[in-house]
Amino acid sequence: MKLSCLQENLSRGLGIVGRAVATRTTLPITNNVLLATDGGRLKLSATNLEIAITCWIGAKVEEEGTTTVPARLLTDLVSSLPNERMDLSQPLRSHTIHLACGRNEAKITGQAAADFPPIPTIGEGVAIPVGGDALHTAIDQVAFAAATDESRPVLTGVQASFEGSTVTLAAADGFRLSVHKLALDQPVAEKVAVIIPARSLQELNRLLDGQEEPVQVTVNAARSQALFKLKNAEMVSQLVQGTFPNYGQLIPQSSQSRAVVNRAEFLRATKAAAIFARDGSGIIRLQVTPAGELGPGKLAVSARAEELGENLGELDAAVTGEAGKIAFNAKYLTEVLSVLDSEQVALETTSPTSPGVIRPVGVDNFVHVVMPMFVQW
Amino acid sequence: MGYNRPMPIRILAPLEAARIAAGEVVERPASVVKELLENALDAGARHIGVESQGGGSALILVADDGGGIAPDEVELAFARHATSKIASLSDLESATTLGFRGEALPSIAAVAEVELLTRTPGQEAGAFVRVHYGQVVERGRRACPPGTRVTVGRLFARLPARRKFLKTPGTENSHISQVVSRYSLAFPDVKFSLSLEGRRAFESPGSGSLREAALKVYGYETAQALLEVKAEAAEGQPLKIWGLVSPPSRARPRREAHFFVNRRWVQSRLLARAVEEAYLGLLVSGQYPLSILHLELPPAEVDVNIHPAKREVRFLQEQAVFAAAQRAVRAVLMQMSPLPQVRPLPRLEQAPTLALPLEPARPGSLAASPPPARRLPILRVLGQLASAYIIAEGPDGMYLIDQHAAHERVRYEDIKAQRRDGKPEVQGLLAPVTMELTPSEAALLGEHETTLAEHGFELEPFGPGSHLLRALPALLAGQDPAQALRAVLADLAEGKGKDIGETLAVSLACHGAVAAGQALTLEEMRELVRRLEEAEEPRHCPHGRPTMVHLSAAQLEREFGRR
Ligand SMILES: Nc1ncnc2c1ncn2[C@@H]1O[C@H](COP(=O)(O)OP(=O)(O)OP(=O)(O)O)[C@@H](O)[C@H]1O
Ligand SMILES: [Mg+2]
Repeated sequence: MKLSCLQENLSRGLGIVGRAVATRTTLPITNNVLLATDGGRLKLSATNLEIAITCWIGAKVEEEGTTTVPARLLTDLVSSLPNERMDLSQPLRSHTIHLACGRNEAKITGQAAADFPPIPTIGEGVAIPVGGDALHTAIDQVAFAAATDESRPVLTGVQASFEGSTVTLAAADGFRLSVHKLALDQPVAEKVAVIIPARSLQELNRLLDGQEEPVQVTVNAARSQALFKLKNAEMVSQLVQGTFPNYGQLIPQSSQSRAVVNRAEFLRATKAAAIFARDGSGIIRLQVTPAGELGPGKLAVSARAEELGENLGELDAAVTGEAGKIAFNAKYLTEVLSVLDSEQVALETTSPTSPGVIRPVGVDNFVHVVMPMFVQW
Repeated sequence: MGYNRPMPIRILAPLEAARIAAGEVVERPASVVKELLENALDAGARHIGVESQGGGSALILVADDGGGIAPDEVELAFARHATSKIASLSDLESATTLGFRGEALPSIAAVAEVELLTRTPGQEAGAFVRVHYGQVVERGRRACPPGTRVTVGRLFARLPARRKFLKTPGTENSHISQVVSRYSLAFPDVKFSLSLEGRRAFESPGSGSLREAALKVYGYETAQALLEVKAEAAEGQPLKIWGLVSPPSRARPRREAHFFVNRRWVQSRLLARAVEEAYLGLLVSGQYPLSILHLELPPAEVDVNIHPAKREVRFLQEQAVFAAAQRAVRAVLMQMSPLPQVRPLPRLEQAPTLALPLEPARPGSLAASPPPARRLPILRVLGQLASAYIIAEGPDGMYLIDQHAAHERVRYEDIKAQRRDGKPEVQGLLAPVTMELTPSEAALLGEHETTLAEHGFELEPFGPGSHLLRALPALLAGQDPAQALRAVLADLAEGKGKDIGETLAVSLACHGAVAAGQALTLEEMRELVRRLEEAEEPRHCPHGRPTMVHLSAAQLEREFGRR
């Protein structure tokens, strides 16, 4: 292998694939990054066996070749070098690479590429284009609701179901549910539903940052892996096997009380109350009062702590229906309000013990259902 | 120097001897059930019914449809060392029966009121005998279905010292159901039914399928995920291994291993270790597989006569058995998951951590003393060590805080406060979780229902063996609800006899506390230390282990030779 490229590009590429380098592993070679010449470009790949990320950077290739080297070492080294032209070479039949950049020279011992776990490729199947920005938002609004506890693997994933001209992302951890619907440019030929690990999607979101072009999503025939193809990079993720719970029935169809409030104010009031709620399990109490003789409708956000006292914040609210009260875990409430981007949100409740619903106002593509805490009022 | 010799040596009266021997065979009601089940199985029963009243102390009944006992042998069955199963010790090498000592019936009859009613297919009427505390009190003929029915009443009634060691009826029943469910796994082709205090508690299908038997014990979700082990040992070795093991993704917080050697349930460290080695590298620490393994080998290859209750066996070729078991399990695991699962830490962001191995304080050198005062001073967090300890600085030197123990303490005090106020903090579940409980879990749940409810578990019965979990203590929010309840039940089982409220508080504090190995952000560490500063008893976790070690400024100066 013999090639030259820009330090800046190599450094960026290593940053991208670095997210997939294994950290705790029983297979030491997965601490390495695979370098390979590929049609006039340099291809970098890494895998932790759950996801694999590959990216291509521009290079001037003089001699084809492939090898693997420790990812951390190479990344640290490259990032300390000046932004100049870099020459990479690998003597024939050796796994050591020579690196020259400006007045620096280095040698790194690697391992044969043949020992590297194969980076899965998905040749079959139809690629479905999904808008990059829109997907980024959808992942933000859904992935956080997936379970972090591994005991029910399907809940650690996000269900993506492609049907007609929409893809619906949904995640639930037993306490809350987030569902986001996304329009597709072209309808899909057949219905496909897969469960993608939430962690993989969060990695995908890092790759998506700033990419507006559509992402090409392909699922293999065995439904065991999905490929996300971006402009200069791609990620393959293992899929979670199993049946995702049928969540449709968990979304309440009606409510007794609906309060529309400014989202940023609601979030601020919740965060303020959360300071008082952080002892114990973080109970935030919400009370909805319809407009009446005494004034406009309100939403009161409060929390108490034994020794600290209590905090009460009030927001103006457009209330339809009856008065209502409900208590939520501060973390759950903060998380959903933080991922929404609409100006107004609606809080729909029916009773202190039935699920609460939060929706953005003005767009009809998202719903979040969260189970209350049962408290004495 | 002599010693006190209170009495001359004499031979004990037969009944005395029987009662002493009974101590080894009959420890508790569940051991009576075990012996009677074995007899029924030895008699070739296809269907065995078990009943228990008063936790087995009032009544145990085992009825089978096996071969029965000839009328003229009925009383002989109660004689010591009377057995139809072997004629001499050398027969033991080829015996395939569970019983061989002729000790079970006399031992049981020595400590209870026993009635045995039996009929062989050849007889028209059944024969019965009643033996009360070793004495035959009645005998005769009576009509009955073919097979044998043994009723054991008033167990230990005349032995107050033994009675004292019995636990609550609920606990004794849960031991009984464990025995019955174990045998249902040993003999999937036999139908077992169990009723406790007049209520149907368990029934095995008797279909011959081990998976279907396991389904009744562990519930659908678990049973359908189990992987099938099947190995005929190679090179003419006459060892066959078959059974079911859980995939690594379905590991449990407690060890749960059943081993059957020629259908006999045994405890075996050798086999337990073989299974654990098979899972090496596939499980997160603190997680254990579920395994149900049958070993079949010629009787001459195992010594079954090494434990008074026949709970242990010795293999002639231990090494070969170990290797075969390990390989058999490993093989299925490898087949199902060619890729080792990498599980990065959930949720928490990676904070830079020092990967230093922590050396225990050597005596004499850095003998870190437990901190003196009760309340903590204000501490400043400096960083995290080995993803397990928080390093903090106080007005008087350095504090090393065990993050798990500290979090347990803080959660424990929260729970205590909530209990004091009578206000458990409860988190509802989006959809109720159906819990399929093992018979012993169900018994525990029944016993501690109110205490569990007081702490925020909202459960309701949902058909036989199932419960719906609707809400759980808010402190457990974010965890898998079913797993969390299972872990709590396991702690309750272990904490038997202790204050139940306390055991539960400690258990809730522990499950869901940050574990060692979790990287924490500075913000998270500060919050934890702040809560610990406010704790009433900050220096020990609820299990009593220290939450921190303190190195005073003076100690540090001494160590560095500054003073
Ligand atoms: N349910 C039964 N059906 C038919 N025969 C029985 C039954 N229970 C007991 N017997 C007969 O009574 C004998 C004595 O039983 P007991 O359990 O005391 O001894 P064992 O089974 O031979 O040996 P061990 O003490 O190891 O159990 C048995 O050998 C068997 O012949
Ligand atoms: Mg017997």
